[in-house]
Amino acid sequence: MAGTGPKTLLAGAAIVWRHQRILWLVYFINLLLATVGTRGAVARTGAILNHSLATERLVHGFSLGAYMELWFHPSLPFSASRPMMLCTAILFALFMLFATGGILTSFFEDRRLTAGNFFQACGDYFWRFLRQMMWFAVALIPVGILAALAAALARRVNQQSISPFPAVHTVEVAAVIILVLMMCLRLWFDMAQVIAVAEGETKMRRALKSSARLLRHNFGSLFWLYLRISLLGWVGFWLGLRMWMEHLQPEAIGRAFLVSQAMIVFWLAIRLWQRASEALWYRERLPELLVPAPLVPPSPVEQAPSELQPV
Amino acid sequence: MCRTRPAALIVIAAISLSARPEIALPPPQARPKLAATQDALSIRVVSYKIEPRLDPANHTITATETLTYHNLTGQPQQTFPFHLYLNAFQPKSTWVAEDERDHAGHEWKPEQYGSITVDRLTVTGMGDLTSKMQFVHPDDDNAEDRTVMQVTLPKPVPPGADVQFTMTFTDKLPEVVARTGYLRDFFMVGQWFPKVGVWWKGAWNCHQFHASTEFFADFGTFDVQITLPQNEIVGAAGDLISSVNNPDGTKTLLFHSEDVHDFSWAASPNFRVIEDSWTGSAGPVRIHLLMSPGNMPSAPRYLEAQKGALKLFDEWIGPYPYGRITIVDPPHGGFNAGGMEYPTLFTADTTWYMPKSVLLPENVVVHEFGHQYWYGMVATNEFEEAWLDEGINTYMEAKIMDVLYGKNTSVIRSRFVTLGELEDQRAGIMVPGYLRWPDTDPITRPGWRFYDDSAYGAVTYSKTSLLLRTLEKVIGEETLRSALHTYFLRYRFTHPTGEDFLKTIEEVSGKDLRWYFNQAVYGTNILDYEILDAQSEPLNPDDAKNAGSHSRPDVYRTTVVVHRKGDFIFPVDVEIKFDDGKSLIEHWDGRDRWMRYQYDRAAQLVSAEIDPEHKVQLDLNLYNNSYRVQQDQRAIRKLSNIWMFVGEWLAQLLAWLT
Repeated sequence: MAGTGPKTLLAGAAIVWRHQRILWLVYFINLLLATVGTRGAVARTGAILNHSLATERLVHGFSLGAYMELWFHPSLPFSASRPMMLCTAILFALFMLFATGGILTSFFEDRRLTAGNFFQACGDYFWRFLRQMMWFAVALIPVGILAALAAALARRVNQQSISPFPAVHTVEVAAVIILVLMMCLRLWFDMAQVIAVAEGETKMRRALKSSARLLRHNFGSLFWLYLRISLLGWVGFWLGLRMWMEHLQPEAIGRAFLVSQAMIVFWLAIRLWQRASEALWYRERLPELLVPAPLVPPSPVEQAPSELQPV
Repeated sequence: MCRTRPAALIVIAAISLSARPEIALPPPQARPKLAATQDALSIRVVSYKIEPRLDPANHTITATETLTYHNLTGQPQQTFPFHLYLNAFQPKSTWVAEDERDHAGHEWKPEQYGSITVDRLTVTGMGDLTSKMQFVHPDDDNAEDRTVMQVTLPKPVPPGADVQFTMTFTDKLPEVVARTGYLRDFFMVGQWFPKVGVWWKGAWNCHQFHASTEFFADFGTFDVQITLPQNEIVGAAGDLISSVNNPDGTKTLLFHSEDVHDFSWAASPNFRVIEDSWTGSAGPVRIHLLMSPGNMPSAPRYLEAQKGALKLFDEWIGPYPYGRITIVDPPHGGFNAGGMEYPTLFTADTTWYMPKSVLLPENVVVHEFGHQYWYGMVATNEFEEAWLDEGINTYMEAKIMDVLYGKNTSVIRSRFVTLGELEDQRAGIMVPGYLRWPDTDPITRPGWRFYDDSAYGAVTYSKTSLLLRTLEKVIGEETLRSALHTYFLRYRFTHPTGEDFLKTIEEVSGKDLRWYFNQAVYGTNILDYEILDAQSEPLNPDDAKNAGSHSRPDVYRTTVVVHRKGDFIFPVDVEIKFDDGKSLIEHWDGRDRWMRYQYDRAAQLVSAEIDPEHKVQLDLNLYNNSYRVQQDQRAIRKLSNIWMFVGEWLAQLLAWLT
């Protein structure tokens, strides 16, 4: 069994660091789509706020009342913003699905692809991953059912118990179980994508079967790898949120923007770190197997350092 | 133990009241001679003696009630109506129909149905009249509604005489719904006994129970002897006179209460009782707090808010004359029992996880305690004029919360987000907001005739509070407080009307305020002012041509146009600021649709603002009340930042799920 000690973890981080271009590309798309998604609301609300003295309650603090008054403003500045925001979020999800092929190829081969090669890899795997997404949706159904059952159980416990805490603990336990299940599912499907890229598997059902086999035999090490990065992500997110909400002055709008965007970049980096570590883990697990020939011959200039060459 | 109200209490109260520099307080109406004791605070029309027996397993109460009614109506009375409130929770009742109309999709569970059945009714000297009982429907044609029962006696009761009704009845308590019922082993027993209507304005006033209405009853005395299992801990709206353990494992508790118009009680074996006290101008007040499991962290918060409310009501409005107040904290899941007022007892509301930055427990305590004044003592008709208790009380609640917890932080006070009571009443985050329902109904509309339950809440609670805040602009905050004080002293332990309240304000302020009341109280007019135009231009056209040069024009013509968008006419101040640091205040009566102000000065306009003191809280749109020449994009940048962050994070979450 391949080790998942600090070496794999740090090597995964190093891969993300070396392929920063991917991180910044994904962040740029994320930012761009969010800007598009909120542009209408910003324009409409700006027309109300920019010349009004009533904005003091929003600038020097954040008055929920002043914010909610905008919801009832006659010009309805938020109307049509929510669907737009949802649309851009869906677009980003589709973009990530598209980019995953290129990202995994870069990470697995640990070499810098040209833009053309990167997007070629994206295109090569897009339909496979799209099909896989359907399977993921199917796999989420039992989790949804479980969540509904847990909610019903919590309601029942809540109704019967004199103290509120048995129901609270039921919800806590159920939430942890469901979160772990979701992470397992994600890990399963992530590894199937890695297999598809590493072995050129075109049948995603077969990739999912292989991934399931892999998980069955290496669940502890893989999940531990995934969990550690997730925990780091949550801790970083919580710290960023605390800094934004509690330590920045309400008027420090520029700094708040930097902190919030740093959190977004960090969150993206965490996700890419998981993907890089998965790819690395898979590469390290099969030393006896030859790593498939690169999809695109590497250019001499972009040759990865020798110690990082696949074994 | 029994607490007999000492006559000294009345004297202390009178002294404390006489210290206030106000208007003489002649009695508003000729009061008949008191029927009961000389030190009574109210005209005691009714005297109830009730002996309920609680069956916790079956959620039922069997009881015998003896009601002595003193006919102070000034005329013979032969027909008597009674409220049977628990019958509201029946499948075909008016209450349920209205609830289903306003809350589409809400399904009633079988256990949420409740009822009250009068098994026998006798009248002293007139025999068994059970067969004479009939259900009536004074408000609608719903023959299935059984919330009002009427009985016609064989002979009339002469004026000044007493009549004694004896009823045996059975309550089937619902799983807690609309302020009453059971939840597991918790019982909130309110509106649970046959209650006679009120002879008011020359007729019986006994409305059916509606989803948006509350109660109305005469003052009197209550002697309630409750029998229930010995492990039950009881909180009741009366002084405990005696407690006797019975051989069958039950106990019988006798409570006495006077100068109140209702009696409610709560029981649970799991209450933790906390006792505290506070001393005001009318003497000590014992605070009984009954906490449910899991909610203990909220107990100090309840007590702090309770003492703060006692103090400020005592200072601003008048003395609290009862020697006790009982606060019942419903158990988890008992939201439907929370936040309800009864004389000398109310239910609070919290959760096990209530963050310190969310002041819901404090808010509910201040509001429900306020009802001891506006409903408990000033006993207005909640069916027909709910704004007189809910609205005035919401205004007082905001005033008190602002003093106790800060003006803009009296609902939420975290470092990042804040919310004040007044803002909440406008925007409707914790309470139904005025901005959503500004003009559906006048506040004076009877409760069941509002557009829907939400409009009822927004108009009755929030709009009334905001119109009183806006009235402060006209007569001053202190004058309005003085008017409320006078209104309380004059009408406590009576049933005043809306006009009594409005006339008191006019009398105390010395102003004719009909123009305001006709729009704000009786009307549905929209109040919305805006700065339509505000600019400075060089007065000399040559200066305009040279505007790009370094020389500054000598004189600018500044124009500010104020526009009344709504149909509510209200005088406003307009503050105009110039870049030489000077500012002007203009006063506009608002009668015309617009007003143009022009100034030729050696300074340019910086900003123009309507109502710079922010007193006109009925204004529908506060953002258009001002205009600044130089844009300030900080607010929109801040909002944009938050929205972008949410959008980006949502997108990433979605990507994780694909």
